[in-house]
Amino acid sequence: MDRLGARAAASDGDVVRAVLAGDAERYAELVRRYRDRYARYAARMLGSPDAAEDAVQDAFIRAYDQLAQCRDPENFAGWFFLILRNRCFAERRRTKREAVADVSQDELPGPGRADRDAERSETQQLLARGVSELTAEQREVFVLKHVEGKSYDEIAKSTGATVASLKMRMHRAYDRLRAYLKERT
Amino acid sequence: MREFHPLVKRWLDGELTADQLGAELAAELAEARALLSGVDHSPVTLGQDLDQRVMAAVRSRPATRWQRAWRWIGTAHELRVRVRPWVVAALAAAAMLVVLLAPARQVRAPAVVQAPESVYVKFVLFAPGAHQVSVAGTFNGWDAHATPLARADAPGVWAATLSLPAGQHLYAFVVDGRRWVADPTAPGVDDGFGRRNSILAVTPRGARVS
Repeated sequence: MDRLGARAAASDGDVVRAVLAGDAERYAELVRRYRDRYARYAARMLGSPDAAEDAVQDAFIRAYDQLAQCRDPENFAGWFFLILRNRCFAERRRTKREAVADVSQDELPGPGRADRDAERSETQQLLARGVSELTAEQREVFVLKHVEGKSYDEIAKSTGATVASLKMRMHRAYDRLRAYLKERT
Repeated sequence: MREFHPLVKRWLDGELTADQLGAELAAELAEARALLSGVDHSPVTLGQDLDQRVMAAVRSRPATRWQRAWRWIGTAHELRVRVRPWVVAALAAAAMLVVLLAPARQVRAPAVVQAPESVYVKFVLFAPGAHQVSVAGTFNGWDAHATPLARADAPGVWAATLSLPAGQHLYAFVVDGRRWVADPTAPGVDDGFGRRNSILAVTPRGARVS
């Protein structure tokens, strides 16, 4: 196997250990490997691809800073997801605070928003706004289950919540979305 | 807020099929279908320069102590030393002094381990009535069958030539596989069991019975 082949086959654990040993450039392998995997999750959680890009970037940098605390280097992806998740929740709390004294963020025509909305159906736009009204916990379980297609068991494993609590959040989300859609159609 | 019927929620969760919901839930089911039809599954593409931005931030991070040590070891360094000429001369003189004053060590020639020299020894026994004769001793583990003697040209004479290492050997002849006979031409010692063994001394210059 040539050197390039050996690099391509390196596990997450191998790369993490190499970075911790001082080969910081190899961190780029992890960025390439996971940059798009959670992009849609972040975009749906934060409401825009631009915000998602900032969150993913910050999460990667934060993960690098805390890499020595990654207890299971082979499961870097799962650990990185938790960092990104915290970043998304924090961002959502911040924007919510800012929105209190202002009108709803979703009612503002953000940069590039008109173009993106033009590509989406009216139902999709409506639901996206309805999802943005959910709590962060409700929104997350809705995104992971209905956008990312994860099962309750998978979501429980990656977030640490129980299946029962996830179902409770989801069922409340269904009711809130139903009410939101009913009011606007 | 009107809530979805629990069965409709289970349909939304993918746990039930539409057939399992009664006709009375048809309207709610339609609402639930409309809700799911609004889910946007389209992929999200991040900017191509995301990798570069992350790596730029990584490179700007101060390395940890271990990482700095690791990099320093793996990098070629140019060392420049500025010294005055008299310092070089002083150092050279000091080095020479150390060499001259160091206690002389006796250089020993490496010990040469030589293999013990072997000498050919001819064992001879006159046993006219014997059918079979062998020699057993310290050199073959007192094995009565390991070293047979052959009939020599003279009638009744048995002989065998062995290569033996230098040293003292005890031995005896074994006639017809059962009778132990000391060499009549060599001095012997009592073996402690009522028999006598013969003594043979082998030196690099030859063998002699003693």
